[in-house]
Amino acid sequence: MPTSRRDFLRAAVLAPLMPALLAACRRASDEGNVVNFFNWSNYIGPTTLEDFKKDSGIEVRYDLFADEEEMFAKIRAGARGYDLIVVGDYLIPRFRSLNLIDPVPAGSLSNLDNLAARFRRPIYDPEETTVPYLWGTTGIAYNKRKLKKAPDSWWDLWDERYKDRISMLDNVRDCISVAMQLLKIPQTTKDPRDFDKVRELLVKQKPLVKQYSSSSYLNSLVAGEIDLAMTWSGDLFQTARESPDLEYALPKEGTYMWVDCLALMRGARHKEAALRLVDYILRPEVGASIANHVRYASPNEKAHRFVEKALLQDPRVYPTPKVMKQLSLHHVLDSEQSETWNQIWADVKVS
Amino acid sequence: MGKALSWLLGGRKPLASHLLLAPAALWLLIFLVIPSLALVALSFAKNGAYGQVVWELGLHNYRRAFDAKYLPVLIRTLAFAGSATALCLLLGYPLAYFLVFRAGRWRNALLLGLMVPFWSSTLVAFYSWMIVLGKEGLLNSALLKLGFLSQPLGLLYTPQSVVLGLVYFYLPFMVLPLYGSLEKVPRSLIEAAYDLGAGRWTALLKVTVPLSLPGIVTGCLLTFIPCMGDFITAELMGGPRYYLLGNLISNQFLMAQDWPFGAALTVILLCGLVAGLRVYQRWEAES
Repeated sequence: MPTSRRDFLRAAVLAPLMPALLAACRRASDEGNVVNFFNWSNYIGPTTLEDFKKDSGIEVRYDLFADEEEMFAKIRAGARGYDLIVVGDYLIPRFRSLNLIDPVPAGSLSNLDNLAARFRRPIYDPEETTVPYLWGTTGIAYNKRKLKKAPDSWWDLWDERYKDRISMLDNVRDCISVAMQLLKIPQTTKDPRDFDKVRELLVKQKPLVKQYSSSSYLNSLVAGEIDLAMTWSGDLFQTARESPDLEYALPKEGTYMWVDCLALMRGARHKEAALRLVDYILRPEVGASIANHVRYASPNEKAHRFVEKALLQDPRVYPTPKVMKQLSLHHVLDSEQSETWNQIWADVKVS
Repeated sequence: MGKALSWLLGGRKPLASHLLLAPAALWLLIFLVIPSLALVALSFAKNGAYGQVVWELGLHNYRRAFDAKYLPVLIRTLAFAGSATALCLLLGYPLAYFLVFRAGRWRNALLLGLMVPFWSSTLVAFYSWMIVLGKEGLLNSALLKLGFLSQPLGLLYTPQSVVLGLVYFYLPFMVLPLYGSLEKVPRSLIEAAYDLGAGRWTALLKVTVPLSLPGIVTGCLLTFIPCMGDFITAELMGGPRYYLLGNLISNQFLMAQDWPFGAALTVILLCGLVAGLRVYQRWEAES
């Protein structure tokens, strides 16, 4: 989730090297007060980890990913050594059923009550085995200088006029959810005919799409390579700080919200330290400083006092109650549905 | 010391040569043979819930792979790898020729220069290309400023940009074998050709090129084979319409969470390449 080209380059170059480095570091100094934290790129405050070290004496070894399916593949392939990871709401049941994460012990966090009520015992994780970190929406990013009319519907991403100027997130969840929303198909479906329609709609869009990307599209937007993109809210706001021509639209059909959560890896070696980091992030002023930087909404209600006023009052970040009603969480898929969704996405890529 | 070394290097003593081979053999066994066998085994397994591997063996992954929807991907990959290889040869042969016969004292420096791009990460190299080729990139803005263009060209995300990326990255794989075999061409034979009245072109085509044929073949293989499996170039410089076999395979592992199917595709690609090599070897033996 880059803020600038330079940051992105650095992250892109370092990310593939990190596991090796991390493994090397782990062997070099396993003792000591550390926590290994695996997070999205550009998804934390600039000084959060240093401040935590000053506060607790615990050093954070920080590793980044740019795609959560890839992160999942890496963890499943046996990447161990992480203590704390950031997992999207919809991935939590999958991580739980594959025994990849341990529940956060009840009563181990003193600041848990700072969370807003709607983020307690959520449907994707009713037993509160993970802790909400940040949340956001999926919407449309666009360059307002280049488009005559601001996009207001997901159908704009299917509009012939924008051929070769569109980017879609390279993400099974978001793309198939949007297609289902446009076709008015519920996410609970198991009907093969529904899946055929979804596949057809996404294949139909493909000739218009310049790239499927979950991170480099932001550079393409800035560089004028594309003018419309399906995006995650905060990523666009971070980019827009440097490129004021970029704007964010929530489609009138409604859209999805998602919650990224902090989870303890199964068999984490530094569980105590990881829990202290989680508790630290839950402090109101810390949660707010992260949200101020990454431009996503904080589920931490007590933190709202410390969030920049402009950000807190921005309906694109903290939607109005009316819009809020139109936001839904991703449905929790069973393994069979999950496989079908992945298969559809693979077919779209091949077509 | 000298005696020990000559004992070690004395190929006729079986124990010594086995000892020398052991580290490399062990390395290949652990990092090539065992993983390849695991991959073959995986290709017969089944994909279970949330991408877990279920060991019910069968041919289902192979049946799925021979689906007409993958044919365009295969043809596209062959075309891209083929044209990248041809272009590498076209660019690489004169370059290697120059290095061997004309570069003189600059030869080593130039050879080193050829390797410099490899010192940086592939990703950095590709992002640099994106900065050069982008709509508001260096090339387009220069051409616009100079008045050669009125509209920026869409240079990225085209078949040409993918081939450019492949050629850029794999050119040294072509040049180095060519360099090696051109260097071995005896100068006396070329001089003899001149003495017998051959012109420059005749000497080149009738003596130098045929004698450097092993280098041409090796260079083409070293370029073509990795091009067939490349996915990062297409992903970064190609956009969605230039989806190659490498992308198909990497997506099975990273996005679709279907490792057995990805393994089957890999095995098929591998068998195809090996079969192609065998056909070539037979053809070479016959002619």
